[in-house]
Amino acid sequence: MFEELNRGISIPSPKAYREMTPIKRREMREGLLYISPWLVGFFLFTFLPIIASLIFSFTNISIMDGILNAPEFVGLRNYIQLFNDPQIWTGGGSGTSGSLWITIKFGLIALPVGILLPLGIAVLMNNPNLKGSMFFRSAFYMPYIIPFVAAIFLWGGMLNPETGWINRSLMAMGVPRSMVPNWANDVVWVYPTYVIMGIWGIGNAMLIFIAGLQGVPTSLYDAAKVDGANSWQTFRNVTFPMISPVIFYNLVLGVVGLFQFFLVPLVVNNGTGRPGGATMFYNLYLYKTFFTFQNMSYGAAMAWLLFVMILVVTVFLFGTAKYWVYYAGEGRS
Amino acid sequence: MRKSIFVLLAILLAASMVLVACGGGAEPAATAVPAAEEAVQEEAAAVEPTAEAVVEEAEAAVEEVAEEVAAEEPTAEAVVEEAMGDKTQIRWFVGLGTGTNPEQVAIQEEVVADFNASQDQIELVLEIVPYDSARDTLATQIASGSGPDIIGPVGWGGSNAFYGQWLDIAPQIESSGFDLSVFDPALVEFYQTEEGQVGLPFAVFPGAMYFIPEMFDEAGLAYPPQNYGDQYELNGEMVDWNWETVTEVAKLLTVDVNGLNATEDGFDRTQIVQVGYSPQWQHPNSTATFYGGAAKIFEGDAPGSYESAIPDSWKEAWAWWYDGMYGEQPFIASGPLSGAPEFGNGNVFNAGKAAMGLTQTWYTCCLGELRDAGVEFQMGIQPAMADGTVQGRIDADTFRVWKGTANPEAAFAVLSYLITDGGDKLLPIYGAMPAIAEKTDAFFEVKSADYPFVTPESWDVFVQGLAYPDTPSAEQYLPNWTESFARIQTFGDLLNNTEDVDFDAEFDKLQEDLTAIYNKQ
Repeated sequence: MFEELNRGISIPSPKAYREMTPIKRREMREGLLYISPWLVGFFLFTFLPIIASLIFSFTNISIMDGILNAPEFVGLRNYIQLFNDPQIWTGGGSGTSGSLWITIKFGLIALPVGILLPLGIAVLMNNPNLKGSMFFRSAFYMPYIIPFVAAIFLWGGMLNPETGWINRSLMAMGVPRSMVPNWANDVVWVYPTYVIMGIWGIGNAMLIFIAGLQGVPTSLYDAAKVDGANSWQTFRNVTFPMISPVIFYNLVLGVVGLFQFFLVPLVVNNGTGRPGGATMFYNLYLYKTFFTFQNMSYGAAMAWLLFVMILVVTVFLFGTAKYWVYYAGEGRS
Repeated sequence: MRKSIFVLLAILLAASMVLVACGGGAEPAATAVPAAEEAVQEEAAAVEPTAEAVVEEAEAAVEEVAEEVAAEEPTAEAVVEEAMGDKTQIRWFVGLGTGTNPEQVAIQEEVVADFNASQDQIELVLEIVPYDSARDTLATQIASGSGPDIIGPVGWGGSNAFYGQWLDIAPQIESSGFDLSVFDPALVEFYQTEEGQVGLPFAVFPGAMYFIPEMFDEAGLAYPPQNYGDQYELNGEMVDWNWETVTEVAKLLTVDVNGLNATEDGFDRTQIVQVGYSPQWQHPNSTATFYGGAAKIFEGDAPGSYESAIPDSWKEAWAWWYDGMYGEQPFIASGPLSGAPEFGNGNVFNAGKAAMGLTQTWYTCCLGELRDAGVEFQMGIQPAMADGTVQGRIDADTFRVWKGTANPEAAFAVLSYLITDGGDKLLPIYGAMPAIAEKTDAFFEVKSADYPFVTPESWDVFVQGLAYPDTPSAEQYLPNWTESFARIQTFGDLLNNTEDVDFDAEFDKLQEDLTAIYNKQ
């Protein structure tokens, strides 16, 4: 089917075009006419900017020099500078780590939570013994429909070190004031803080997992039961393989989202990198390079590095998929 | 059928394009005719003839008037030209600093009107741009070669973001015979940078040590001196009012929940209720300048040759600051503590939680809560450094001329007006202290009305402070200024918020990072 569909939307070669019947030709022309608004929009507002940013990354555009002055071609200078930029690459330290290291460090905490927590909740929601599952599904999904920025402000209030009810609850339980977390103002606690804030966004992933779980044929569970499999064995050998495409989908989206992580540090810590540079994520640094430091060419080079990194990681993930992702009907590829 | 639909669509599309193309030209006539109609209808109503006659007359009159209007109506460009005559237009860009509040805009418009009425050579035009978009807007204007002539009020920070774009106004000062003697010479020198004389003093914010006398009374300590050169009485001895003294006094004024000060056994650093000192909203560069002296902090003259050159005295200053927060005997509120609501969410002195705070005149903006709580404050002199000299700090806003201006003489004429006569109206709404010493009385009268308990001796500390500018400024130009300045702020933020920082390692990393940022191209 896919092959047919692909053939249907491909542009024919000149020879094939000549061999078309008049009706086919007219249909093709009309088809192109109908999608031309999108094609024009894509060309003007997506494709051209992409190409422009690639060209910019090899120049030294400075907005101060005037847009009428042709930028100078500087070869790979921006990329060489990129690979020597301590703000990107420096690892470790007591606070002022490089942006890439910060992004990876955060990802190591956020990605497992972002995948496993909605998966766990989805498994619970899918349990036939759960009463009121519709209510719980709605309850878990509801935070997702709250505008993200509003949710962040709400969390900011809850996690306020002094007035937030979370710390007040901790202190009421006997945790000394000096021991309660300083949450978003602490170079260590700021990452768990962001992860906690992100929990409100798991509703969507949870629904996708539930859909995946409901697509697992009950006959497989019956067979597992007949074979004497316990709950873990059933999950490990039936559920997981069957929903592995869904996990893979969420994982790829999660990784892409991680590299593009931006809004939370921008809102919670005003995009300053506070505390102590611990929240200067790569994408935030990219944004600041463009729009605060107004270093357009270098920013373009950073954007292309981001694209390459996401591409490499995504290709890697797709490479590993054949070892753990199971597509029903195709067997293990 | 399908073909006919396409033909119909094509005709409709062509017709709509023709209509759109014609629409632009038809608009002016459409606006002129209703105005004429109104006039004719009013006339018709007055004589009350028959309806048909009125309509006919009206239509005829409308046509006649419309023709006259069309013939006589000048173009927009002609209107502007006529209004300006031979005047040189000077654009004044406001938005990089203060000046965008509605009440400020109204006064600025008044100043523009005053200026325009005062002479017939220059037409001053005001451009107000919201602060958040001002940098982008100005950058875009400059990039397109249509930058404004005058920009301001703007401080060092806003100016540094456009380093290299400012006109050296020394030739205009000389050719116009502008009298510089109205300023303290140190303030004129303050605006001499590698770009030349890039400004003249206008609004100044000298520093002073704000203090709460009640806290000193409770601790049995003398108040900070109020005249430069005076000493301080500590433990029965007269000592210099320097940072060592400030540190000692601040520790005695830092109190925990049990009433113990920072020097006493059993002092609970986790339960501090009052600190002795607050570097109230000071950038790390500012703290370092106060403590270690004004200094240029980079070397080199071109990308590739730049190197961070933060002096040891600044490193000592930051180590002192860090020790003040996280050392054995803390006397400065750390980031988490100062960020607490009880400590004013960062406005520690205003919350009545700091006995002393070294900051500038502008801080008088933000002491309403302290006043309303019935707490009085006064001002003392800025402390001396280890070598005995006083390193003050002056924040300053002024107007700058864009180097791309086509009319530098006219732009300077406007600048001269704004910092002198225009300043009489502008400075009060900017809340700024005049750089011209003889004009400061009016400023302090307003401030005295806000804070009646502040003594004339305290206000005079600010006037004395004009003699202690930081040259180069703590907000001096650095290559890739915005990023460099932010990197230093990040370092300060790390110190502010993190206990057990490897100070030397972080300082070395700061130097390394700054060198890399300076050399970015």
